[in-house]
Amino acid sequence: MEPLSSFFAVSIILLGIGIYGMTTKRSAIRILFSVELVYNAANLNIIAFSRLRNPPIITGQVIVLFSISLAAMEAAVGLAIIILAFRINADIDLRKLTKLKG
Amino acid sequence: MVDLPPDPIQMTIAMITSPLFLKVAIFPGLTSIGIIAAILTWLDRKITARVQLRIGPQYVSPFGGILQSFADLIKLAFKELIIPEKADRFFFILAPVFGLVLGAGLIALIPFSPETLISNVEVGLPVFLAFVTLSPTLVLLAGWSANSKYPFIGGLRSLFQQTGYEIPLWLSSIGVVMLAGSFNLTKIVQAQSTGWFILPQLLGAIIFLVTSVAEQERIPFDLPEAEPEIIMGWQAEYPGFLFLAAQGAGFVKLYAFSALFATIYLGGYLGPGPQFLGLFWSLFKTTIMIVLVILLRGAFGRVRLDQLLKYGWTLLLGLAIINIAITYFLIEGFPAI
Amino acid sequence: MTDPAFLVVAAVTIIGAIMAIEARDLVYGAAALGISFLGIAGLFILLDATYVAAFQISVYIGAVVVLILFTVMLVGPAKGEAPMEHKRASLFAAVLVSMFLGIGGSLASANAFPGVEVCGSGCDLQILSQTLLNNYGTQLELLSFVLVAAVIGALTLAKTEKA
Repeated sequence: MEPLSSFFAVSIILLGIGIYGMTTKRSAIRILFSVELVYNAANLNIIAFSRLRNPPIITGQVIVLFSISLAAMEAAVGLAIIILAFRINADIDLRKLTKLKG
Repeated sequence: MVDLPPDPIQMTIAMITSPLFLKVAIFPGLTSIGIIAAILTWLDRKITARVQLRIGPQYVSPFGGILQSFADLIKLAFKELIIPEKADRFFFILAPVFGLVLGAGLIALIPFSPETLISNVEVGLPVFLAFVTLSPTLVLLAGWSANSKYPFIGGLRSLFQQTGYEIPLWLSSIGVVMLAGSFNLTKIVQAQSTGWFILPQLLGAIIFLVTSVAEQERIPFDLPEAEPEIIMGWQAEYPGFLFLAAQGAGFVKLYAFSALFATIYLGGYLGPGPQFLGLFWSLFKTTIMIVLVILLRGAFGRVRLDQLLKYGWTLLLGLAIINIAITYFLIEGFPAI
Repeated sequence: MTDPAFLVVAAVTIIGAIMAIEARDLVYGAAALGISFLGIAGLFILLDATYVAAFQISVYIGAVVVLILFTVMLVGPAKGEAPMEHKRASLFAAVLVSMFLGIGGSLASANAFPGVEVCGSGCDLQILSQTLLNNYGTQLELLSFVLVAAVIGALTLAKTEKA
């Protein structure tokens, strides 16, 4: 079994990639990719900690089941918003979506 | 003593003759999946033909044309691959090949007999169903990558159909898990030694059969391939060898779903007679289910898209939940209300 | 760092994530994201959480990636269009990422968290289901309400105005 630090390292790297995507990209869908990556980094972290602590407990898996469901719901609503924004503005470049009216 | 480095030839021979490799390569692994998919193509055409009062394949061998599918395989393998110019080559080629890999992965989970089981995962049933949920993604990518109207419409229809029928598929198999007390497919088979699960789970078995036929896009659910309308749907632009892969993936899924039905509802490798006949029994039951599903092709017309979505999301979902309730009362007895 | 399975799966995950963000075409990005999720499921399996891994595959790759692909095909740039350029926050983002990579890399070699046991009965599927139903039953019901709210929200957003 790999030491906890390796799983934690993978989780931190995914978090970094996700934050980089969120701050650097202009397309709303890329930002959604980054959000999903951050969700997955957090889930991996929770499961790794709950399994590799001393003694291992099951609570991490329960939390991650809820987290996966909530992330899927959030992705669905987010994509609906993106489609709606595209219908109104014909563009999903976040620098141009500056008006709240619509 | 100094350890000599292992002899590579000896290592290779040891690896090839190890039971896991034999299981993966020969039975129930890759070679047998290929041969069974080819035989199933022939069986599908022959049975459909007989139901429709035709003869079907008859020329390629003295026994009813059984080598027809191997002849088709050789022909399609040597055809020129014409990929449309604006098509996205990466997904165009990868999607059917991944479909085949997925089908092989499905077969690896099924216990045909205790000795020929490739992987005994503790959560066998959810892993099987999770692989099934991967196929709408592949079909959508395949339909989109052809960069043409009709394949894309076919891909979208297939996506709606397969995604909508996943939930009744999951829910109807939960009844079996409740009766057996485990997700492990081997334990589910062993729990049927007192009685096959098809009797207490009749409603669940029927829902499972209907939703699995919908997942495989077979007639009567073949809207994504509707021949008179959109000319093979998402497979319309696929040439030669890739067409073979797409069709082969469909038949491997038929094999996998029928084997799963036989495992969780018909008792898998259990049957009268000595222990070593288990393999024969599970293959026999799988064949019965395959023939049943093929007979459905000749018997029914095509389901319309709105009917399909309506009945998938409302009727089948409700019936699956009722099935769970019935199973609960069967287990606990009526005073549990 | 001696387990080859862990190294392969972690590499697949991270490379998939990088390709998802940096791919020129959004469809390739979504497919790379799917591969990254498959890698995460593999890491879950390595951590003795096989049911959660099956759940991850069927929910994330089977539903979220399909939704994203669907949206990209409807809303994304047409095939062959030029990709959007970076915003000017690139420098800040690059510094932040190198900080994260530095922390990650240094943690991977340290023995900061000791004590690894065989999971035994703590990770059993039965314990998971019992905990979920006994201790978290109320939260499960609340989750179904949140699901209904999400479905109603998505349907309302997607409804077109009748002209």
